[in-house]
Amino acid sequence: MPAVRGDGMRGLAVFISDIRNCKSKEAEIKRINKELANIRSKFKGDKTLDGYQKKKYVCKLLFIFLLGHDIDFGQIEAVNLLSSNKYTEKQIGYLFISVLISGNSELIQLIVQSIKNDLASRNPVHVSLALQCIANIGSKDMAEAFGQEIPKLLVSGDTLDVVKQSAALCLLRLFRTDPSVIPSGEWTSRIVHLLNDQHMGVVTAAASLIDALVKKNPEEYKGCISLAVSRLSRIVTSSYTDFQDYTYYFVPAPWLSVKLLRLLQNYPPPEDPGVRGRLSECLETILNKAQEPPKSKKIQHSNAKNAVLFEAISLIIHNDSEPNLLVRACNQLGQFLSHRETNLRYLALESMCILATSEFSHEAVKKHQETVINALKTERDVSVRQRAVDLLYAMCDKSNAEEIVLEMLAYLETADYSIREEMVLKVAILAEKYATDYKWYVDVILNLIRLAGDYVSEEVWYRVIQIVINRDDVQGYAAKTVFEALQAQACHENMVKVGGYILGEFGNLIAGDARSSPAVQLQLLHSKFHLCSSMTRALLLSTYVKFVNLFPEIKSHVEEIFVADSNLRSADAELQQRASEYLALSKLTSLDVLATVLEEMPPFPEKESSGLLNLLKKKRPGRVIENPDRLDEHVKKEPRETNGTSGLTLASNTEQEGGSADLLGLGVPSAGNGNGPTTNGAGAVTNNIQKFYCKNNGVLYENDIIQIGVKTECRSNLARLALFYGNKTNHPFMNFQPNVSASPALSLAILLQVKQVDSTVEAGAQFQQMVNVECVNDFDEQPDLNLVYNYNGAPQTVNIKLPISINKFIEPTEMNGEAFFSRWKNLSLPAQESQKIFKAAHPMEATDSTKAKLIGYGFQLLENIDPNPDNYVCAGIIHTRSLQIGCLLRLEPNKQAQIYRLTTRSSREAVSQHISAVLCQQF
Amino acid sequence: MIGGLFCYNHKGEVLISRVYRDDIGRNAVDAFRVNVIHARGQVRSPVTNIARTSYFHIKRSNLWLAAVTKQNVNATMVFEFLLKVVEVMQNYFGKISEENVKNNFVLIYELLDEIVDFGYPQNTDTGVLKTFITQQGVKSVTKEEQAAITSQVTGQIGWRREGIKYRRNELFLDVMEYVNLLMSPQGQVLSAHVAGKILMKSYLSGMPECKFGINDKIAMDSKGKPAEESKTKSAIAIDDCQFHQCVKLSKFETEHSISFIPPDGEHELMRYRTTKDISLPFRVIPLVREVGRSKLEVKVVVKSSFKPSLLAQKLEIRIPTPLNTSGVQLICMKGKAKYKASENAIVWKIKRMGGMKESQISAEIELLETETKKKWTRPPISMNFEVPFAPSGFKVRYLKVFEPKLNYSDHDVIKWVRYIGRSGLYETRC
Repeated sequence: MPAVRGDGMRGLAVFISDIRNCKSKEAEIKRINKELANIRSKFKGDKTLDGYQKKKYVCKLLFIFLLGHDIDFGQIEAVNLLSSNKYTEKQIGYLFISVLISGNSELIQLIVQSIKNDLASRNPVHVSLALQCIANIGSKDMAEAFGQEIPKLLVSGDTLDVVKQSAALCLLRLFRTDPSVIPSGEWTSRIVHLLNDQHMGVVTAAASLIDALVKKNPEEYKGCISLAVSRLSRIVTSSYTDFQDYTYYFVPAPWLSVKLLRLLQNYPPPEDPGVRGRLSECLETILNKAQEPPKSKKIQHSNAKNAVLFEAISLIIHNDSEPNLLVRACNQLGQFLSHRETNLRYLALESMCILATSEFSHEAVKKHQETVINALKTERDVSVRQRAVDLLYAMCDKSNAEEIVLEMLAYLETADYSIREEMVLKVAILAEKYATDYKWYVDVILNLIRLAGDYVSEEVWYRVIQIVINRDDVQGYAAKTVFEALQAQACHENMVKVGGYILGEFGNLIAGDARSSPAVQLQLLHSKFHLCSSMTRALLLSTYVKFVNLFPEIKSHVEEIFVADSNLRSADAELQQRASEYLALSKLTSLDVLATVLEEMPPFPEKESSGLLNLLKKKRPGRVIENPDRLDEHVKKEPRETNGTSGLTLASNTEQEGGSADLLGLGVPSAGNGNGPTTNGAGAVTNNIQKFYCKNNGVLYENDIIQIGVKTECRSNLARLALFYGNKTNHPFMNFQPNVSASPALSLAILLQVKQVDSTVEAGAQFQQMVNVECVNDFDEQPDLNLVYNYNGAPQTVNIKLPISINKFIEPTEMNGEAFFSRWKNLSLPAQESQKIFKAAHPMEATDSTKAKLIGYGFQLLENIDPNPDNYVCAGIIHTRSLQIGCLLRLEPNKQAQIYRLTTRSSREAVSQHISAVLCQQF
Repeated sequence: MIGGLFCYNHKGEVLISRVYRDDIGRNAVDAFRVNVIHARGQVRSPVTNIARTSYFHIKRSNLWLAAVTKQNVNATMVFEFLLKVVEVMQNYFGKISEENVKNNFVLIYELLDEIVDFGYPQNTDTGVLKTFITQQGVKSVTKEEQAAITSQVTGQIGWRREGIKYRRNELFLDVMEYVNLLMSPQGQVLSAHVAGKILMKSYLSGMPECKFGINDKIAMDSKGKPAEESKTKSAIAIDDCQFHQCVKLSKFETEHSISFIPPDGEHELMRYRTTKDISLPFRVIPLVREVGRSKLEVKVVVKSSFKPSLLAQKLEIRIPTPLNTSGVQLICMKGKAKYKASENAIVWKIKRMGGMKESQISAEIELLETETKKKWTRPPISMNFEVPFAPSGFKVRYLKVFEPKLNYSDHDVIKWVRYIGRSGLYETRC
């Protein structure tokens, strides 16, 4: 029956409706199994099937496959369909193949042959089908098989436009899988000239292809700029009646315009003044058109128009060279800010964020501040509000900071939970950066904690404390404000932390007022104590012990608190330790000691709150719009301490011997690095290995991206090195492999034990690696540290020495003059002595620094022994596993000649030589 | 504590939603639909945890029944409860289907209110429920009846009301067993067990006390005459068993005797499981030969091994076929065989078969060569049947009825005992 034998495929329709009518999954599977068995028996059957039947069954298989079942037969039939001359059969065959054939199928040869035949066919429909199939499969095999022919098709004169269009898109697909498919050289100009093609469809397809090519190789395709500009100007200046088929709701060729505008964004503004002028003209025309009344009320019309407009604005921003265009774009966007359409408002805010960073349009953007703030308050869509926050952040500068920060704070109360943390960070950064009055800053941050305490990260409140401590003028105000804030019924734990810290430091400044007398302060803080986590409690205990120092009159109250079972016998080891140590401190020690130990914190090194910025970047990777003023500021980045507890163990550190005041995001390296370089110009590489002979802690190595700090602890013949690796960048290090090795000779003398570390270092993060060293025998080399990692895809290596030398194992030995000289004489063999005379590299008058170096080296400085008071005399014992080596040293300065004489004696010849060789470079 | 109970149709539309506790929000219904019913991959686990909420579900004929909780509940309790809910609903309106649930939703809510209170399962005995949740319209209940219901529901014997009277005291006992088997192609038993239950239908007057005796090894040994009886091998070893709530467990523990006051009408008295000395009613002997890549020859022999006087019924042997089968030719000596493409299997049905007989089927399967080199995994041949004896060897030794208040004795009660053995998962690998 010919009626049935049309394209209808009744069997397929029946099958599909059967499946749709199935009540349950099981019924569906049954029906499919039945159909599969039927098709198998049909394909197996000896009688040959005609094209229609094959097409029908292949279609059914395709449908079953799309329902999620595996199909493992029927491929041969599908390939047979390819050689059919009927369009529908060929189409189904290609469809099946592009959906179902896997790359490594045996049939691929057959398929490739069929496709070749079709490509060579004179029927354009067949060629198009073949091209579509190639693009749909898009494998490397396809790229290899047809890489030659498709470009020919694309540029050949007698190919039909429709085919050219397909060829361009197919080539684009193949180019994405295998960039080598596009031949270079002569083809370049021919492909670029496709932009001049008569047929708009071809131009549109070619624009996509060229865009991809340009991204890969901008130089080679530079010729496309002028062509694209002229094409664009032709479209823009035309009226909508010019391109009948390519006018979409009265907008001429919107897709092509957008693509061309995007293409131009791959290049800087054109150098040729003619082209440049034409482009500006185009952009101006587009901006003008936006002002014209709409030609249609339909949404499609305005969508198409706005798409072109936004792309044009992006190009204007990208070029960033024509102030009047930028300002016009900004004004245009300003109109959109109050548009009915939510999408438009969103896009306008987003584009404005970028505009705000341009110097030309920054002022223009600022005019819309009112509207943006209004949007923040009244906008219903959360994503738009988020953009509004971004824009406020971007347009903030000195003149409007106060107002913007206030608005953002006000909004924070009602803000969505999803953006609160980000807003808090932004407010904190803006408040700090543009603070003219630090009272205002303190107010803002305390308000921040009050309004959104949960979202205030550690860094934010660390920062406020740093600033308060560094500024004398706000300390009293801060103490007063936190005291008032703490009086609220319920206050956030972060507020208690800030309050506790500040009152502990500066509580005395407000103690004069009877309303905030010491006892009241203590009582107020302690009323919050039980509601806090143990971290905060630990901090509060430190505050209390500081009160003991500040206000001796309430000492007994404080001691009562320490004695309480919940502290002195707390299950938390940290709390217990603090309580008992502080108790002992306040009970046993004299006032002097107390005052020294609990002295006010020293000021922190000044630095940007880059920690906050990093945090912001981490939260929204790729989305952060810089606040423009940052661009011309000197940006210093310091590694952040990521060790969670370090911030709070401060107070206990202060009473430990040699404790470094390590608080609030100061890394160990920079803290222990008093005389080392704290700032580095861009590109500077610091390798401080020499200095480590005389000190134990500090920055060992630093360049733009990484900082390596060292902390060494030694005891007799054992040493422990803590290596701190800090990532100074915004990208994580991958495959991070520190490798510590010793030369064969050295590995006999010392034993190294290295802890394994993670292979990834997050952006801005810092972590620690422990190295244990045991000295077996004396040595004069240093172990190597080879660091290999990938930064931003590029492999990096750092080769440095580990600062382990024999002097780390010297134990200082005290002795009187008599003992010293008798030993000195005992070591009088020529081999045991090593003497060096050298010019002074540092001022000889700085005896203190010389002494410090000698002590740092490990010796005991014996004073008043040598008859000449100018001479330095030292003694020490080197501990190795097998033996102890006594070392004696005399350093005799000659101030007139500016030279030193250094004499070293020890029981080992090598040791004396090594020590004098090292030390002669230090003075 | 069950937080709530939801019932969905196969499309995931909610038919019944009853929330018992406040911690279950409105979105709990949707969470299960999205994460389980409409999940991309099929969810196999009956317990699903979604956002700290646990869902326990069972499926009954295209319906999903899910219990939901936020607490750490006893999972087996919840499933037992779900099965009970299904049983109660079946007893009220027959087969569980979307249609029936929709037609009876008022009744279902009434039942759900009664059988769970604040998440704690209450009385799920249909007999008792039917006394106060009826399907005939609203019937005003007198004060006395109300009091009777209250005292009964809250009393000691909640499953039976007083004052039942029958002219003829009758009692039916069905011993129903399901045999499960997995056998290797060589005829080696890989695993076998029998899951049995005793269904009792009682029409007895008053509050009769029943005593039930079975040939359980422990019970018989404790009777004091172990020597003679266990020698006859009539005693069986029961691995584990559980009883209806009416059975006095204390007595069972001390004296190994099963005594109880039965509920009126039908109930499941006992459930048990045995694994030793099972007499397998049938053996299936498969023979598979691959002839080249495009043909497969299968021969299956079924042998019955029970007393020739007995007759097995409803035999159905299911022989799976490869997924690339393109045609099947069948020859069988007895019964009817058919290739069911929709199930990818040959189904061979025999109506009746006597003991100690054998029958055979041979099949030629044509195969279509395919792309994939995946080998066919040969699923096991499964079998269904029904035989009139208990394959575990279970025997009812006695069932005595005492009713001291009314004047009928054990002899006046008419008792019927029937044994049925059915196939559970009865499979032979090939």
